Amino acid sequence: VYQVFESVAKKYDVMNDSMTLGIHRVWKDILVHKMNPCPGTLLLDVAGGTGDIAFRFINYVRSVRERQLQRKLKHHQNLSWQEILESYQKDKFNSLGDSQVVVCDINREMLKVGKQKAQHLGYTEGLSWVLGNAEELPFDDNKFDVYTIAFGIRNVTRIDLALQEAYRVLKPGGRFLCLEFSHVTNPVLSRLYDLYSFQVIPVLGEVIAGDWKSYQYLVESIRQFPPQEELKEMIEDAGFFKVDYENLNFGIVAIHSGFKL
Amino acid sequence: LRCQHYPPLRALQASAALRRVSDEHKKEPLTSQQQFDPHPDGHQPKEEPQGPHPSYTGQGGQESEDYESEEQLQHRILTAALEFVPEHGWTAEAIAEGAKTLGLSVAAAGMFHSDGSELILHFVSECNAKLSELLEQEQKLVQLGKAEKKPTDEFLRDAVEARLRMLIPYIEKWPQALSILLLPRNIPSSLSLLTSMIDDIWHYAGDQSTDFNWYTRRAVLTGIYNTTELVMLQDSSPDFEDTWRFLENRVADAMTMSNTASQVQSTGEAVVQGLMGAAVTVSN
Repeated sequence: VYQVFESVAKKYDVMNDSMTLGIHRVWKDILVHKMNPCPGTLLLDVAGGTGDIAFRFINYVRSVRERQLQRKLKHHQNLSWQEILESYQKDKFNSLGDSQVVVCDINREMLKVGKQKAQHLGYTEGLSWVLGNAEELPFDDNKFDVYTIAFGIRNVTRIDLALQEAYRVLKPGGRFLCLEFSHVTNPVLSRLYDLYSFQVIPVLGEVIAGDWKSYQYLVESIRQFPPQEELKEMIEDAGFFKVDYENLNFGIVAIHSGFKL
Repeated sequence: LRCQHYPPLRALQASAALRRVSDEHKKEPLTSQQQFDPHPDGHQPKEEPQGPHPSYTGQGGQESEDYESEEQLQHRILTAALEFVPEHGWTAEAIAEGAKTLGLSVAAAGMFHSDGSELILHFVSECNAKLSELLEQEQKLVQLGKAEKKPTDEFLRDAVEARLRMLIPYIEKWPQALSILLLPRNIPSSLSLLTSMIDDIWHYAGDQSTDFNWYTRRAVLTGIYNTTELVMLQDSSPDFEDTWRFLENRVADAMTMSNTASQVQSTGEAVVQGLMGAAVTVSN
């Protein structure tokens, strides 16, 4: 798996766009929207190599924080100018409201690409990049508010270990969110999807990234992955409560959510 | 007797935030919430605060005998969140702050809908529960002979006033709450809460009717309650005097109407009897 992603790192984003015809952006947006983070949230994004989720999280929190500050200013109508100036200055340096993202990936190359992207797009604060294995996270217990793993859990050898680690590092009340390819429920769509996966995707892989094998592996690993209900049970076994999933695009992708209660 | 075979992982992991029910017993037990369970999702029957905790058969048929259920935890979070409503409104933010005070992560607010509906419904059902407890106590006093039984109009007035006064701490953000309650998704729950509250008031007012009157009485009182609530929202008089006066007038109107109706009925009967008598006389 390591080598697959080493070779894939640089072209990862381009391939994502071409394979999913750009829809993956929407899926990731939906994930962050479902998370609905408020300022002050500490997010751990595992297998988040190139930082897609992290950037979206930061954007979201920034806009929520702006709205918060606007509301506070409206309430401050009765304060003196001095007081308003002070509160404005204090808040201006806190545009993220203490929210932070830790991006963790097992692959150094993916992290490198992610850091470059962050610099390129201008994300300077609130981001950390850590090298780590999802089955054995280098973090203390009860640290994070939200744990996300977008299109990464499929590549973990022991999913149950990854889920247990997720449970461990989350604070009580924390949320586990998993975005992953899953099983299509509609039979007609399923046939079309199979056709597309096995015929088109490896070809794209060869053309764009010069790598047929990796994308063949990708498509096969999607088929091997447990379906929605089974994953739900695995998440429950790890100790999460209120586990449920939401199918996007008839099951091509599913978001599983659970809480550490 | 209870199944002792827990799936291995679950048994070892003590739940992080679901407390043992025994902890809850130390606090004052919540008042009768049995009838007023409005939860739109997952209608688990509310258990008594005392007595054995019924098995929460959630995931995989596993029983967590001594731990509170998710529903109870959600209730605790929502109750804690009410404190933050005046500042944040009826939003997911208020719920997140509430979760924080309980020692949970702010992400726990994700358990609820992002528009705060559950928070409002929870609040309404809590108010209704408080009202019925109040009415119950009043009734007990009357039964024990310690208080006089109030005439109907005064009873209705006091009950509606008591219920509306519970809105006072949240009155600023209440319009927002009303608009959310009117969303199609929430209408079944909010409507059922409203009707059960009105029902309750009439029950304690001594209404025993089983005929069409039942519907008219409820409709009338619902109308009085809703209009008074709306008046209250834009009332700026000290201690809402204008609202209570409005309420008094509406209740008086309703009483007059019902008196008039019964008068019309008895007059009608008298007229019919007179006509019958005349007809008999003529035929003879």
